[in-house]
Amino acid sequence: MILCTTDAVPGREIRETIGLVRGNTVRSRHLGRDISASFKRLVGGEIEEYTKLLAESREQAIDRMIAEARARGADAVVGMRFTTSEISAGAAEFVAYGTAVKLT
Amino acid sequence: MQEPTREQLQAMAYVDGELGPADRATFESLLATRPDLQLEVTQMRKLGLLARAMAAPEPIDHEWKRLELDPLQRASTSLGFAALGFGTAGLAGWVGFELWTSEMQLLPKLLLGLVCAGALLLFLVTLRGRLRTLPYDPYTEIER
Repeated sequence: MILCTTDAVPGREIRETIGLVRGNTVRSRHLGRDISASFKRLVGGEIEEYTKLLAESREQAIDRMIAEARARGADAVVGMRFTTSEISAGAAEFVAYGTAVKLT
Repeated sequence: MQEPTREQLQAMAYVDGELGPADRATFESLLATRPDLQLEVTQMRKLGLLARAMAAPEPIDHEWKRLELDPLQRASTSLGFAALGFGTAGLAGWVGFELWTSEMQLLPKLLLGLVCAGALLLFLVTLRGRLRTLPYDPYTEIER
């Protein structure tokens, strides 16, 4: 599965547009990690607990988007984008979306 | 080295998206009934994710690793969490005991006990669900 943020796949031609595909997830860290993160907020620097939280969410959202694209018979997802938001304190929502296409 | 079984080969093809629609549907119905195969697929997804998230280590990563191994850092962290956990549990128990032995009427006491028992039960059920599904969650080892 080719994923790209551009509207076309360089060197390949789009034969058919399937439509919007997306994957989302909301994840959190456990209380212990939240406690560590809250202390790191006091002293500054990177909060790896939340870097990891967003990375986990990003990969799961991508995988869900790919699964949908595969189920619909796509070869690639073009114009891929990410959005993120906070659902509740310490929980991150990540959405990956794009246009599923068939290539020649 | 052991040769992969037919099911393992199918699982690899499934994870890589190489199965056609009919084969994928057949494999997915088999997957739904086989926890051992589900674990296999999770492990393969984990490997794929590690390869996808490959990042060059930064100097700060080495320092964090050193700190993780530092006995003082580890002991202080464990001690801190233990003190926090036991202190909170003890405080909750003490507040509960004080309320129970207070002049408060029996009904509010029972209702308060019900609220605490309900919250504890819900927490335990959620924890059980997380522990049961944790082996099937391939996203826990992604660092950044």
